[in-house]
Amino acid sequence: MLLRFCNRLIFILSLLGLTVSAFLFYEYSLSGPMNCPVGNGCDIVRASPYSKFLGISLPILGIIFYAFMAGLSIWRTKNIQDTRFTGLQLLSALAGFAFGVYLTLLEAFVIGAYCFWCVLSFIISGVVLLFAVFSWRKRHEN
Amino acid sequence: MKTETKVLGIILIITIALLFGGIFLLSRNSSGSAEERVAQIDYTKGQKIGSDSAKVKLVEFSDFQCPACRAAEPVLQRIRSTYSDRIQLIYRHFPLYQHQNARRAAYLSEAAGQQGKFWEVHDKIFETQTQWSNLGNNEATVLFLDLAKQLGLDEDKVKQEISADTFKTLIDTDIAEGRRLGVNSTPTFFLNGRKLNLQNFNDLVTVIDEELKK
Repeated sequence: MLLRFCNRLIFILSLLGLTVSAFLFYEYSLSGPMNCPVGNGCDIVRASPYSKFLGISLPILGIIFYAFMAGLSIWRTKNIQDTRFTGLQLLSALAGFAFGVYLTLLEAFVIGAYCFWCVLSFIISGVVLLFAVFSWRKRHEN
Repeated sequence: MKTETKVLGIILIITIALLFGGIFLLSRNSSGSAEERVAQIDYTKGQKIGSDSAKVKLVEFSDFQCPACRAAEPVLQRIRSTYSDRIQLIYRHFPLYQHQNARRAAYLSEAAGQQGKFWEVHDKIFETQTQWSNLGNNEATVLFLDLAKQLGLDEDKVKQEISADTFKTLIDTDIAEGRRLGVNSTPTFFLNGRKLNLQNFNDLVTVIDEELKK
């Protein structure tokens, strides 16, 4: 029951992350100032060369990551006890969070500005990782 | 297939459809046909770098207090040094009402322009943007006068011109022309009259190169 609850939370958080990434994708396609609820670093981050990774716009990577995480949690509902899914979910969440750490360090030490939406996405990926770790541990305790 | 799998799958599909449908509709409304339309810009106005006979004219509507305008500066400075003989860069003021010190910064730049140092002050204002953006009116004026002094301007003349709103009409004229041209954010660029929709300020170099090849 707890595993199912964790999986649903991961699904909901992934939808939230997907929405944030889709919003960023839209904002990145515009030339005007970004809608930045806290501070004014969004424009600086968007204008920096780090707004792309290997030529791919970061919001697109965010969309792919969260859509994959949501898809994975749907797939997991087929067999919530399957350790392969738990492991894959944990590894994917870890990869997403690690990439978020890298981007946040870039914001802090290279760009010198924080984008509210990017930080929000980073926090969401952190919470997803927490539930993935919890889920993985619970599965292996059983 | 389990009911939960079906329900979550449907929710994901609906979410993706709503998000991308929304993005598609919003993008269609915001891009419009501005890029194709050549706007009638008054090229006699504004602060310029480059020859009046240059084949390519890049007009920037900018706000000294806007972070995005500051972020665009490195690319613009590169353009100024690389294309100085082939393009004309024109700076037009568009201080946004929510930026309390933007208009005063614009006054300072125009006062410097009267003394032949618009671009030196322009660069310095952007360079120091974070130092004065959150200051009160009086503190910002003190900082601006200090900048004027550092750059060798006649401080008393600058002080008098800022306090007398000498350049109010000039700035208001720029804002009015910007509004007429559909400027609603800063920085907004027009390349030979075509409004640019840039994803990245580095794209400015690409569109200038393309325009020069025509």
